[in-house]
Amino acid sequence: MEHLIIAPILIPAFAGMLLLLEVRERQPLRRLTGLVSALALIPVAVGLYLRAAGGDILVYQLGDWAAPFGIVLVLDKLSALMVLLTSLLALPALIYASRADDKRGANFHALFQLQLMGINGAFLTGDLFNLFVFFEVLLIASYGLALHGRGPARVKAGIHYVVLNLIGSALFLVALGLVYGTTGTLNMADFAVKVRELDGGALELARIAGLLMWVVFGLKAALFPLYFWLPATYANATAGVAALFAIMTKVGVYAIARVQGLAFLDGPLAGLGRDALWVLALLTLLLAAIGVLGARRLGEMVAYLVVMSVGTLMAGLSWGSPEATGAMLYYLIHSTLVCGGLFLLADLVARGRGKLGDQLVAGPAPAGRSGLAALFFLGAIAVIGLPPLSGFMGKVALLQTVPSPLYWLFLLGGGLLALVGMSRAGSTLFWRATGDGRARRLDRPRLAATVLLLSAAPALAIWGEPVLEATVATAAQWAQPGLYIEAVLGGGA
Amino acid sequence: MNLAILVLLPFLGAALPPLAERLRAPRTALALSAALMPALALALLIGPAGQVFEGRTVQDALSWMPSLGLTLAFRLDGLALLFALLVLGIGLLVILYARYYLSANEKAGRFYAFLLLFMGAMLGVVTSDNLLLLVLFWELTSLSSFLLIGFWSHQSAARKGARMALTVTGMGGLALLAGVLLIGQVVGSYSLDQALASGDLIRASGLYPLILVLVLLGIFTKSAQFPFHFWLPHAMAAPTPVSAYLHSATMVKAGVFLLARFYPMLAGTDLWFDLVTLAGMATLLWGAAAALFQHDLKGLLAYSTISHLGLITLLFGLNTELAAVAAVFHIINHATFKASLFMAAGIIDHETGTRDMRRINGLWKYMPYTAVLAMVASAAMAGVPLLNGFLSKEMFFAETLQSSRLGAMSWVLPLGATLGGVFSVAYSARFIHDVFFNGEPVNLPKFPPHEPPRYMKVPVEILVALCVAVGVLPAITVSGLLAVAGSATLGGELPEYHLSIWHGFNVPLLMSVVALVGGVAVYSLRRWLFAQYDRLPAINANLIFEGRVQALARAATALGNTLRNGSLQSYAAWLLALVALVLLVHLSPAAIDGTRGLLPLDGVALLAGAMLVVAALITAVLHRHRVTAIMSVSVVGLVVSLTFVRLSAPDLALTQLSVEVVTVLLLMLAMYFLPVRTRMESGALRVSRDLLLSVVIGGGVGLMAFAMMTSDFQTISGYFLDNAKPGGGGTNVVNVILVDFRGFDTFGEITVLGIAAMGIYALLRDLDLLSARSDSVGRPWARDAHPLVLVTISRPLLPLALLISVYIFLRGHNLPGGGFIAGLITSVALLLQYVASGVEWVHRRMPGDYHPVVAVGLLLAGVTGLGSWFFGHPFLTSTFDHVHWPLVGEFELASAMLFDTGVFLTVVGATLLMLANLGKLSLLDDKKGGA
Amino acid sequence: MEAMVAIMIAVLVGTGVYLVLRARTFPVILGITLLSYGVNLFVFISGRLALDQAPIVGRGPATDPLPQALVLTAIVIGFAMTAFLVVLALRGQGETGTDHVDGDADEGGQR
Repeated sequence: MEHLIIAPILIPAFAGMLLLLEVRERQPLRRLTGLVSALALIPVAVGLYLRAAGGDILVYQLGDWAAPFGIVLVLDKLSALMVLLTSLLALPALIYASRADDKRGANFHALFQLQLMGINGAFLTGDLFNLFVFFEVLLIASYGLALHGRGPARVKAGIHYVVLNLIGSALFLVALGLVYGTTGTLNMADFAVKVRELDGGALELARIAGLLMWVVFGLKAALFPLYFWLPATYANATAGVAALFAIMTKVGVYAIARVQGLAFLDGPLAGLGRDALWVLALLTLLLAAIGVLGARRLGEMVAYLVVMSVGTLMAGLSWGSPEATGAMLYYLIHSTLVCGGLFLLADLVARGRGKLGDQLVAGPAPAGRSGLAALFFLGAIAVIGLPPLSGFMGKVALLQTVPSPLYWLFLLGGGLLALVGMSRAGSTLFWRATGDGRARRLDRPRLAATVLLLSAAPALAIWGEPVLEATVATAAQWAQPGLYIEAVLGGGA
Repeated sequence: MNLAILVLLPFLGAALPPLAERLRAPRTALALSAALMPALALALLIGPAGQVFEGRTVQDALSWMPSLGLTLAFRLDGLALLFALLVLGIGLLVILYARYYLSANEKAGRFYAFLLLFMGAMLGVVTSDNLLLLVLFWELTSLSSFLLIGFWSHQSAARKGARMALTVTGMGGLALLAGVLLIGQVVGSYSLDQALASGDLIRASGLYPLILVLVLLGIFTKSAQFPFHFWLPHAMAAPTPVSAYLHSATMVKAGVFLLARFYPMLAGTDLWFDLVTLAGMATLLWGAAAALFQHDLKGLLAYSTISHLGLITLLFGLNTELAAVAAVFHIINHATFKASLFMAAGIIDHETGTRDMRRINGLWKYMPYTAVLAMVASAAMAGVPLLNGFLSKEMFFAETLQSSRLGAMSWVLPLGATLGGVFSVAYSARFIHDVFFNGEPVNLPKFPPHEPPRYMKVPVEILVALCVAVGVLPAITVSGLLAVAGSATLGGELPEYHLSIWHGFNVPLLMSVVALVGGVAVYSLRRWLFAQYDRLPAINANLIFEGRVQALARAATALGNTLRNGSLQSYAAWLLALVALVLLVHLSPAAIDGTRGLLPLDGVALLAGAMLVVAALITAVLHRHRVTAIMSVSVVGLVVSLTFVRLSAPDLALTQLSVEVVTVLLLMLAMYFLPVRTRMESGALRVSRDLLLSVVIGGGVGLMAFAMMTSDFQTISGYFLDNAKPGGGGTNVVNVILVDFRGFDTFGEITVLGIAAMGIYALLRDLDLLSARSDSVGRPWARDAHPLVLVTISRPLLPLALLISVYIFLRGHNLPGGGFIAGLITSVALLLQYVASGVEWVHRRMPGDYHPVVAVGLLLAGVTGLGSWFFGHPFLTSTFDHVHWPLVGEFELASAMLFDTGVFLTVVGATLLMLANLGKLSLLDDKKGGA
Repeated sequence: MEAMVAIMIAVLVGTGVYLVLRARTFPVILGITLLSYGVNLFVFISGRLALDQAPIVGRGPATDPLPQALVLTAIVIGFAMTAFLVVLALRGQGETGTDHVDGDADEGGQR
């Protein structure tokens, strides 16, 4: 039994609790606590990833109760990958927020840590109800973070975000009731076994349970027609929070992949809702690309790019082949880090433009115009999917593994719309700008955090092969639910 | 010799000029720093070039992403060598030229950096031996040219031109990518070598037409072929060295390079002939005719470039080997004379301050030397004998005569070719005559013009000398290079051909004569032609493009706003409609197929059920009456608690009841600040839509509930009943599940509670509700005081309540109760003090900040969980022992109790943190209101 | 009994859905509350109904304890969420000056 498996949940959990104890609002102490925790998560996640990369699936039985009776955490390649990705995103996002944004409201650092706890828990848990609990943890923390700071726009967007997700939580509970009421279990692996034995009315109910889960996860992932809350929420959140939120949609994608991979790859409910997800994913891709083109703020544009990546990913996932899923995971890593970086960049730009903020209208040149312009150029290339950065590799991998003309048309056409939108935005912000913006200096740590995230694009291109090999291997393991089920129900590790 | 390094050099070199600029290097040193790497690359090219001339193909590959089929594979054959020479050679000349062209206050370092990036990308395109790598460099040329065209970013025309070029070529690049991926699918590899050898396979494939169209889209957009030609003239907003580079030898030539590169793969079919020839012909004529009417010097050259690219494309389309060789030859010739012409135009612009040919006249007098150079280059462009343009044009004319694909219509080709020649001569004549003769200059911004600096003319001289040398002595100068390039293009043996000035009296010569004479004639008619042209509506592709993009963006914004209309009701309706759809499609009464026996319904239960239904409906109907709604909701909650009691769930009943109390308190507090009544504002349509959703979802969930309740199932629960006592040390199985079997859920759950409290605290901290004393419609808000009765009852109740919660907490492991319920009871008791006596009264007696309480609770739970690590067990493993306690009796003292204490503290802390702060708010309100 | 519980759930979910779709924060809060009641009951009955079989060891036949534990968790989480929503509604009122869920001024007409 390796306690390290639970560390990605406990480290931020305890950090969050300690932060709560710190009542005197000593900001440096709070920052230090948060940053140490975020920093510590990286070696832990790397260690776990290396452990999982060997091919073993490790099971951590909480309370020493065997599955399916107790709750288990499961470390396979997929969960390890997601935890690693989260830790890589979190640190720069927190560095950025720790410059000043964290002072704009109460309890920022505690919320941030508990948000990480929720995300990591959702990735690691092998129990459906526990997944619900961690969803709630990450949601309630995200409510707090999304509303961090002031302003009517933030509150408006926050109300939408909260109410929709409360409805989503209710739906999740209905699905869980159906899961338990038909299969008599909550453990994911056990559910996967039992659902294959259902027939008659129970099978029908289990089908609805699965579809309701798709709706709930689709809401988290921001699929059409459930993405409408996202642009306003993300665009209005403080930059570090928005950057961290880049992983939140991926929690939805992950949850669909996880449940689908275990329970619905074969058996009586094989391919459950896959066609619908495919269609919705393509629509998401197209509408988000249109959103990118029509965006009037840079933050909104990046938010739509997040939605676009979700469409891209979900289409790849619902294609159903392990190869496509492998390509999808590569693209997931790329889009999470790059979109996170772009949120930070949008904020850097906005800071240098005074009252105009990140609105896409010509105005004064932001501080450090050349450097920001270069970063924007690189980030745009990466996120649009132009060579030589990671987006290109990801798109090529997806195009190769999803040989559907419709997908090609949407993915490439969407890329073109994004190209038009982003080139307009860049031209407006950096070329049409007046003055040379040299008077003010960029804040170094903020810039460093942004560069750190955006450097994922060249890094994932240069070391594309090992990363792609890893994601393909991850998908191959994902496509063999038997391994996971055996590891969880076969007596534990 | 490593080809990869060769390609890498310009990219590395791109770092030097900005560095030099930062070191405040003088302009010449800056230019030298830029020239360093290309010069090195050119020198390094000599070695492999020798091998190429011996007929070998130099190849070099590094692994990159083999999973994708993307390798860093490079090849140097004749075609690649030719282009590499053009790219590097003309590139160096352009750097030299730019040294004098750029003014001192321009960011030359950045300029050279972009130029070198572009050079590297171009070098990559022509030497790629891997299809994906080729696409990669291809897109890089688009991106770097975007930066170059937009270099003068303060000019609107430059920005728009750059974006238009990027959009059009970017679109082509995406099409090319799709085409290349399909080729890879057919061939089974992205190796260019294999693809070139698989021409028959590709042409026989059912995907061939699609592949061809996609690849040609890439080529035509890049090479500005009709109907994608419109971006090129606007790319002239770039500094002239860029135009000289991009639009003579490189960027636009990438398209025709690809025609040559893919020739063995894709050419030879009727479809190829039709598409390529047609596009080429249309471009040739359109460009040539339009060039004549440009008053802008660079505009004329731009359209002339379009026209010549059409000519080259047309030649490739003819599907004959000789035509392909002629095309390659014309690529060389066009690169030399067009680069020199652009440079000459730049000099003129530089010296006169304008490019308008209606004002620049008679420059012969002022800059005769430049005039000579420009005139020779123009003559080459027109195809005058003894110059290089003549040779390839002659071959072109001859080849158009050979084609029989069009059957009886075959005469169209030579006719079109001749017509193109006529216009070509006409605009060349205009370039010479208008600029250097044709009277005196008109109102020049800079007057009088001078010859440019000595070294600014050197690149022009070199290029013009090449035009003449090739034109006079083709066999010595160019035939070797042409031979290797030609055979590499064809992928095999070269056809018989002779590069000579004199082929005897034949039809091509006649066509040349017609073109020359006709061209001069057309030029002499120019005034009348211009007058006709001016009557045509003016078309500015920049404005049209920009207009379209803006219209598209507006439409996108509008569509986005329609879908994402900012209305929560609409978003929620989408979400719920999706749920309703799932239920409607997949749920049928047939799902009720269980055989489980039903429980009897008694009168009390029926009454309670009816109460719940009525209360819920009242809440829905009368939700605008706040007090009524809260009361009916609490009735609902009460009945739900009773239901739990009746249905064997005492723990739930207790929890529900205590939560109910707190929730109602919360709602009351909320009501205090929210408007008491709201007007009816949903239309009939909205209401009926919502009713429909409610009925479908409510009915569906009810149906599913009934289906579940009436069918038997297998469950894991037996394990909990069996193991609660022996394994968990408690008899209240629900509590043992909560603190032991599924303690991790509870850990998460109290975290949620804690976070909610924190979030609420953060929300409330600097909230000012006073400004919203009444809302915009002026509805009055509820006001309330602390009722005396409550005060007198609540204070003595507190110790009692605390005692009860201790009892409930302690017995929780065995009987209904536990940390949750105890925590909630404690909170309710404390909250009652707030409500009854006011915040100030309580705060004098209680700690003000509940954050640490939450934290200690969570930590206690967490540390208890961690404790099991020291015994070698996983997180949250419990241990227990039997203890006899007075009053409570014999029971097991489990480590889970400690965990449960954490739960208790968290619940108390969180609830109070939430509600006490809300209470404070009302206090604040009272004070301000009273003041 | 089963039919009556099913009807109760249906009514709670139905009224909850209807109220959640209203334009003001207060009915939305009520809707979420009713929806939670309904959904909690739904999860509860997934263990099937039983009379007088509280899951206490040593007291004869016991009903399924697991859904009860789940619902207990769900109730507390639901309470936390509702509380947050209530305060958020207040915050909305404070920052936008209206209790409309979209934070718009009341002159918007029908919504």
